Amino acid sequence: MHWLFILAALGLMAQDKRVDYGRDVRPILSENCFHCHGQDDKKRMAGVRLDVAGASLQRVVARVSNGSMPPAGSNRKLSAEQVAVLKRWVAEGGAYSQHWAFVPPVRKAGGSIDGFVNAKLEAEGVRANGAAAPGVWLRRVSLDLTGLPPTPAEQDLFVDSVKKKGEEAYRGAVRKLLASPRYGERMAMDWLDVSRYADTHGFNNDSSRSMWRWRDWVIRAFNENMPYDRFITEQLAGDLLPNATLEQRIATGFGRNHVINSEGGIIEEEYRVEYVADRVRTLGMAWLGLTMECAKCHDHKYDPITQKDHYKFFAFFNNVPELGEDGRVANAVPMIQAPTPEEISKLAALDKKIAKMKPRVRPVEKVAVPEGMALATDKTVMIAKHDPVTFAFRVKGGADRELVSSIDYTRNMAATTYGRGVDLRLAGGEIEFRFADRLMAYSIRVVSEGAGLTEGRERHVTLLYEGAKNAPDAMRAMAAWVRVFVDGREVATRIVNDGLAMPDVKGDKPSAYKFRVGDVGGATAWNRALTPAEIRVVAGLDSVDPGYEALREERMAVARNVSTVMVMEELRGKPRETHVLLRGAYNSPGDLVEPGVPESILGAWPAGAPRNRLGLAQWLTKPDHPLTARVVVNRFWQQFFGLGLVKTSENFGLQGEFPSHPELLDWMAREFVDSGWNVKGLVEKIVLSETYRRDSAGSYAKDPENRLLARGPRFRLPAEALRDQALQFAGLLKNQVGGPSVFPYQTKDLYKGIVVAADYPGTKWVDSTGDGLYRRSLYTFWKRTVPHPTFTVFDAPDREFCIVKRSTTNTPLQALTLLNDPIYVEAARKLAERAWKEGGSSPASRVGWAFRLTTGRGADDLEVKTLLATYERMLGVYKADADSARALLGVGAAPVDASIPAAELGAYTAVANLILNLDEVITK
Amino acid sequence: MTISRRDLLAKTGFGLGTAALGTLLGAPKAFPNFAPKAKRVIFLFQAGGPSHLDLLDYKPYMKGRFDEDIPPSIFGTQRITGMVAHQDRFPVMPTMYGFKQYGKSGQWVSDLLPETGGIADDICVLRGLHTEAINHDPAITFIQTGSQLPGRPSMGAWVDYGLGSENENLPAFVVLNSTPSNGMADQGLLARLWGAGFLPSRYQGVQFRGGGDAVLHLSNPPGISREQRRGQLDGLAAMNKRLQERVGDPEIETRIAQYEMAYRMQTSVPELVDASKEPESVFKLYGDDARKPGTFAANCLLARRLAERNVRFIQLYHRGWDHHGGLTEKLPVLARDIDRASAALVTDLKQRGMLDDTLVIWGGEFGRTPYAQGPSKVNSYGRDHHGRVFSMWMAGGGVKRGFSYGASDEYGFNVAEGGVHVHDLQATILHLLGIDHQRLTFPFQGRNFRLTDVHGRVVKEILA
Repeated sequence: MHWLFILAALGLMAQDKRVDYGRDVRPILSENCFHCHGQDDKKRMAGVRLDVAGASLQRVVARVSNGSMPPAGSNRKLSAEQVAVLKRWVAEGGAYSQHWAFVPPVRKAGGSIDGFVNAKLEAEGVRANGAAAPGVWLRRVSLDLTGLPPTPAEQDLFVDSVKKKGEEAYRGAVRKLLASPRYGERMAMDWLDVSRYADTHGFNNDSSRSMWRWRDWVIRAFNENMPYDRFITEQLAGDLLPNATLEQRIATGFGRNHVINSEGGIIEEEYRVEYVADRVRTLGMAWLGLTMECAKCHDHKYDPITQKDHYKFFAFFNNVPELGEDGRVANAVPMIQAPTPEEISKLAALDKKIAKMKPRVRPVEKVAVPEGMALATDKTVMIAKHDPVTFAFRVKGGADRELVSSIDYTRNMAATTYGRGVDLRLAGGEIEFRFADRLMAYSIRVVSEGAGLTEGRERHVTLLYEGAKNAPDAMRAMAAWVRVFVDGREVATRIVNDGLAMPDVKGDKPSAYKFRVGDVGGATAWNRALTPAEIRVVAGLDSVDPGYEALREERMAVARNVSTVMVMEELRGKPRETHVLLRGAYNSPGDLVEPGVPESILGAWPAGAPRNRLGLAQWLTKPDHPLTARVVVNRFWQQFFGLGLVKTSENFGLQGEFPSHPELLDWMAREFVDSGWNVKGLVEKIVLSETYRRDSAGSYAKDPENRLLARGPRFRLPAEALRDQALQFAGLLKNQVGGPSVFPYQTKDLYKGIVVAADYPGTKWVDSTGDGLYRRSLYTFWKRTVPHPTFTVFDAPDREFCIVKRSTTNTPLQALTLLNDPIYVEAARKLAERAWKEGGSSPASRVGWAFRLTTGRGADDLEVKTLLATYERMLGVYKADADSARALLGVGAAPVDASIPAAELGAYTAVANLILNLDEVITK
Repeated sequence: MTISRRDLLAKTGFGLGTAALGTLLGAPKAFPNFAPKAKRVIFLFQAGGPSHLDLLDYKPYMKGRFDEDIPPSIFGTQRITGMVAHQDRFPVMPTMYGFKQYGKSGQWVSDLLPETGGIADDICVLRGLHTEAINHDPAITFIQTGSQLPGRPSMGAWVDYGLGSENENLPAFVVLNSTPSNGMADQGLLARLWGAGFLPSRYQGVQFRGGGDAVLHLSNPPGISREQRRGQLDGLAAMNKRLQERVGDPEIETRIAQYEMAYRMQTSVPELVDASKEPESVFKLYGDDARKPGTFAANCLLARRLAERNVRFIQLYHRGWDHHGGLTEKLPVLARDIDRASAALVTDLKQRGMLDDTLVIWGGEFGRTPYAQGPSKVNSYGRDHHGRVFSMWMAGGGVKRGFSYGASDEYGFNVAEGGVHVHDLQATILHLLGIDHQRLTFPFQGRNFRLTDVHGRVVKEILA
């Protein structure tokens, strides 16, 4: 039955069409034969290879016909229809052709979306639906482009404008939506799934990470309509671009969004290798539409990707200065500090102020400094992580060396407590401070910038660890407590790592650290934070401009507290070698490989391109790359129509599905590239097409998935859009682009029995207050091991790995969520308040108003009657039982409008609760 | 246009079971492949890695060899974790607990598990389990999904996908979690352990919680009674039905059915989780902890109630078995947490005639090292993770009773005979459910994936 469907769909049943190898034959061979007769020479049986021209086709067909192939026990069997296809193919000459997706797309002249779609409909003898009413289209396109429905006023305006201006009104509406900041947020939603973006590291500790600066980069890229080739390049290799900007470096966070394991005692290399493999897998899924990980352990069974090819890709991503075990409490290395635009302007303002200052040098005030402990080798200092400590000494600049240290570097590096201690060292003329539970992962590492300790002259260094005295909350980065002073003046610092586990204040007992004192003079420690004035005295500074220094210190404090983001970097010095890993095992290296791509199949390496991630991006974005543009436009198509033209949007390989409209796919891919990878342009073409505008009613039985596109798209909204539109209806939505993630209501003890019983950040959920409760859903804190159920119940993924397509399920748990989740009950109440105030004065006008707001169309008499019946019934209940009404109104943090009688508001809330569950409301 | 029966099934919730849609589409039921021995599974998962050496694997040879080095011939190329990588010695650490033989079968069981000893003739002890993973997250993910890395469907999801639900009012795959009574839950659990992976998300396990609503958002909001909810739902259904007539999308019809299902769950689930009407004899059997929602004992009793209602895959997790140090203080607490209730569940099922078609499994993601981690004394020690050999027990559902299979070497270090790899365990569980593990596949990314990857042997030796 299955195959009859396909044959019918492809029109092969019509006798006038020739068998096409790529469309009709290869899928049969790939599914049934290539496993043993494909390119994997280790698995090849009897030396017979069927994936390339040259086999004895008559023999193959004979063996398949008599049932001796595929062999019994292979769990594979060809249907009569499949055998018939093979026979016809051989009879027609048995021509092989390259897999369609590996041949660069060709643009058919004079093409258009509707041209291709309508031609196919005509060939199939299927009549397409007419256009949906303008208001319906506006709701559909607003939900698709911004994730939010239009207001009734916007709809009225649009309907009116269509009457006056016709087609121009449609174009105007799309332009307006594309210019809305909400557009970037909506487009980012799908990309966050592909990029496996989350706010925690995954694995069983699953503590927090901070990648929201990267998430905001994505939103901005879509809003500014960054050309998609740049979108690819900056995320893959922004750091390698000449004079890479801060934003370009932030973009490379894409390569670090994978899960990171901080479980004590793991074998580091095993996981580091997994992270690299994850990058290859994500690249494959996101831009190549190929299942690269199939070639991790052996040659790909179906696609012409060898295991060596896999490791050549692997080599591009294998040169990151990262650790296998990391991320127990915060970001994993490598990371950079990523000031927000606000922070950047604040810093610039301070710089300006500093530059303008007139010098006022005075003699240093000789404040009394409390006596410290003279440090000597084998002397111990008691240090607690929350408490301040200060170190000071005189040192001669020069070669890298240890200065004052309590870390035993002679221990076994694999041990979970390797590198515990406090350490001050000279590295490249800078002061490096380490405070570690375990090196390198679970440590603070801060390096001064511009200390200039290169020459032999003796200088004075003070290291200040401020401790918790300034910390308003436990989430604050501890590395920001580290300050360095040279000769009594503060110097800037750079945070290399900020991963020291922080016990809560009560559990934080001082520990004894036994120091070695190296080639320094007058080493002293204080169990307090010296003030800058005290440090000047200790350093023996004679004169100072205190106002100037205070401003500089203020600037450095702002810089220190900037949040970090994980990024891609290249190892300094000798690159890490990449070997084929036999069976994919981290400890079974095979042949050495160099970075590279399967050029014979997917196109040549661009001339002169560097053999690194930047070159890889240049190769991917070559205008004639056979896959990149096809894969990308197919995914955008999927976003609007529910299914891609290639239904297997994750797989364009031999096992992927043949496109339903191959010429359309190719035309769009070429259009996209030729337009300068213009995403907004592509999106505009799609949503303005007749195909997209069609009415969605019709006979679903004939073409349930709408592969022929005779209907307009109709789907239940994605999880995020469901909540966002409910908040908008309720007037609760707080629109603000970007920023740290927020914590909207979640069942209180959701983590009980699941989350690790340790005090890591991310192990407790504390509801946001104020605006944080009502931000758009994509800003919700995404905890991988226990994601927010309001979203996962509607098919949002846990983001542990790249996915390019969510399922769209329809379950009773979804009904329970929309009916009872406090998020939706509160939205119903606020919607009821609006209906009371804005919906006229009669119950009929108010329920009608709410219906119009939420569905985008006016209710008919029967609908009003049904809603009124619920209203009247509930009003009776609440008039008799005011407590019940008040109980319902008490759900949610938003204040109750006391000016509305409780019984009435309760009854309207019950009606709004019903409305927010209507299929029409939750479906685009 | 290539829409298959599975595509349709994939979208809907458990309200429309496999059987119903299968009939609808006239497709033959692919599973079970053969007559199942077990209709359902209760997996009592002990997360953290319970020590086989102190519980189920009696090693008299180790006795009196305290602090002797484990011979290199035994140690081999053991992958050791970073937690003991700094140790220069790996000396023998015999158990400090006594072992006794129980029942007619004479199975050796530790004194820490006397009640388990009491069901010795009902259980089949596997002493040759092994896994490649040496850390919690990958090891537990491996047992539950067949892969050490995230991304694959969990065992319960596979079973739900293959066999569907036999109860119109309850999900086919239910998850119950409990925390140890000493509060020391060092390891986190992960949604992926009951996730659907690349299967459609409707197959993910539904967590039943110990406090508040058993199923999230099951209760109506305050101020809306069941009767009033009925009224709302009638209005909703009428309006959705009209829409369906106008639009023709069958999704709407499914949605109407799911709202009815949700409404039925609002009574079926509370009735199910309310064990208060169970007779006193039941609490005597399971122990008083069974009265406290959210304890392992209460979850065992709940598991029986779910099994009675034909829920297909009931997954319990009890955490806290990760005894690197202080094993001798912590292990007795954990053993007490689970011993009586686990045995009671088997006895209870047996008394009700349900053990024959219910498979009960007890065990964790790996065992613990025969050498001590950190400073050790004869009666005070800790043990690191150990995947080379460990033990589990199974009961009912087509498994031999009063039987044991497999053995470790005399140090409890390696498999000596009857090795059962994690994939073999998975193949065997599926086999008992009437599923050929090589045929329960799902096409994803162009490949047919299965729970057992490309491995797995049904352990025929333990089949009754």
